Amino acid sequence: MRPALALLALAAVALAVLGVDYGLSQLAFVATWAVAGLGLVIILGQSGQISLGHGAFLAVGAYVQAGWVALGAPPLLGLGLALAAGALLGGLASLPGRRLGGLAFGMSTLAVALIVEEALVRFDGLTGGASGLSVPPLVVAGWTASDPLAQCAVSAAVLALALLACRRLRDSRLGRAWRAVRDDEVAAAASGIDTGAVKLRAFAVGGALGALAGALYAHWLGYLSPEQFGLPLSFELLMLAFVGGASRLMGAVWGAVVIVALPQAIALVREALPAGVANLAGLELLGFGLVLVAVVLWRPAGLAR
Amino acid sequence: MLRRFLMAWLVGVLTCGGAQAEPGVTPERVRVGTVQDLSGPIAMLGAPIRDGMRMRFEEANARGGVHGRQLVLAVEDSGYDPKRAVLATRKLLTRDPVFAFVGTLGTPVVMASMPLVLEAGRPHLFPFSPHQATYAPLHPLKFQLFAPYQDYMNAAVRAMVARGGYRRVGLLFQDDDYGHEVKKGVEAGLAARGLALVESVGYKRGATDFASQVARLRAAECDLVVLATVVRETVGAVTEARKTGWAVDMLVTASGYSAQTHALGGAAMEGLYGVSVMPLPYAEGANRALADWIDRYRSRFGTAPNIWSAMGYNVADVFIQGLEATGRDLTAARFARAMEGLHTTRDFFGSPEYRFSADDHLGNRHGRLARIENGRWVLISDYLQ
Repeated sequence: MRPALALLALAAVALAVLGVDYGLSQLAFVATWAVAGLGLVIILGQSGQISLGHGAFLAVGAYVQAGWVALGAPPLLGLGLALAAGALLGGLASLPGRRLGGLAFGMSTLAVALIVEEALVRFDGLTGGASGLSVPPLVVAGWTASDPLAQCAVSAAVLALALLACRRLRDSRLGRAWRAVRDDEVAAAASGIDTGAVKLRAFAVGGALGALAGALYAHWLGYLSPEQFGLPLSFELLMLAFVGGASRLMGAVWGAVVIVALPQAIALVREALPAGVANLAGLELLGFGLVLVAVVLWRPAGLAR
Repeated sequence: MLRRFLMAWLVGVLTCGGAQAEPGVTPERVRVGTVQDLSGPIAMLGAPIRDGMRMRFEEANARGGVHGRQLVLAVEDSGYDPKRAVLATRKLLTRDPVFAFVGTLGTPVVMASMPLVLEAGRPHLFPFSPHQATYAPLHPLKFQLFAPYQDYMNAAVRAMVARGGYRRVGLLFQDDDYGHEVKKGVEAGLAARGLALVESVGYKRGATDFASQVARLRAAECDLVVLATVVRETVGAVTEARKTGWAVDMLVTASGYSAQTHALGGAAMEGLYGVSVMPLPYAEGANRALADWIDRYRSRFGTAPNIWSAMGYNVADVFIQGLEATGRDLTAARFARAMEGLHTTRDFFGSPEYRFSADDHLGNRHGRLARIENGRWVLISDYLQ
């Protein structure tokens, strides 16, 4: 309860300080990134696997949704399709985990991200290639989510549903199997757990959530290009999970607050600095790095411990 | 009585609306926004563009501003991340709003933020992106300065064929949107001279070895090779050709027209042709106005300007010319109308004349030929029509 209150207070402060539209835009991206982060928390924190190419799931969700709405089909169904495509890719990405472990398996997930990015460039008839493609706003039953309030409401609702679903999964038999594999894979296998199937499900859930976030991101941004889903995005999401805390579901939310809103907060602080200091190139990056180091030093298990 | 009351109310509402302030404009100042990459992969472009723009604004302010208004440049950092760019744009639209967006950098950033800017009724001016969407389809508030690859390479190839009488033209291209745009322009230029590409070879972005591509172009007996490359790849491809003893003429796009090309490539780059859409601001041999500008820039920012500083200065200058043409009564609609009648003259950089009209918001479609001679780019033609 207390973390939820803290988040609400933070959101209220953001709206008061930043102004309604700007603040709501931030919150919409925070909630969307939190959905993607939840997927990574399931993979990393619950099942103990590593996913270095999580951006690929967002890419698949974003492009499936963009392609679907370009056909004139209902966007809500598109979200379902994106979810399924993400789950499928997640399942595929987990297959090397049956034979590989540790860093080698991590590298195979990195390869998935590279393959997806390259495919987006190559299949330009479908994806628009490197020139990218435009995505219209999300329309649900004649209601268009084009302003920050609507985007924020949709993202927050999706995040709430995703959190509920993840909580149920965490407390289920599957959740216990995930943690058994995470804590000791050999012992889990000896206890009759099909570790390959358990990892596959973790990746399917993680991939589906990533794709769902990607589909929303496509609408909120309105423009997709393959370079947006390169390795920097995957590393940003990894950072989100570590900063927020991969062992708790709420870690995804706290991580998203830091990753999305911190650069903006630093930009606001910069405005208050003397011109000579404020104009230094890379100041925001430096501030961002310092805050991350501080979080790692003082809250090594993440903000949501 | 009722009619009089209604009339009074209507007049009140209309005058109230009329007196409503234009965002970013007060009697004392005009606030202008730009979204640059100051911390991402193309920060080496973003910082000089910002400084060039800032310098031109400061100069205008020192002379009393434009129509008595001081110019304020609000710079936001996108880190080349479209998500951050959207947030930065919302910030510039809602918190202390800006009158217009000038010189935003990077295609993904521009494509994600431009719809918000236009939806808010703010002019979106001269972004650093070759994407056609920055000027087409025609929108009253979209204006672009920079020539598209396809157009200027078409003219450049025609001019090169006319100069050198080349019959077997080959192409080395980066296998992405940029490379394919250039290819279309080269093919159109050759078709106009009754020729076709004899060989075209692609490479993946980031490639460092061009041995196989150069061998294929050589096997096709090309007498001119067009390079749709960026600086590092230009140096790699030309060096490879020279290393193997192939002294073929090569023409690189404006993306390779950089001081870094001859600085990194050294003597092997001698004789390389290039296309310039804006001359490099060399200190050596500069005219007096350019030399003064370089000195002022150096003393203001503590570093020598580069082509991006000049381009930043240039976009700010054209914006100021638009403001001057608009007059004291500044609104987005009046500004756009004034821009449509704007025809700039060539400045001390030797930039092209930008000409806009009611049905064409792209200010320039032309480049000029240059060649590396004695370790620097020398312009060898005027702007090609």
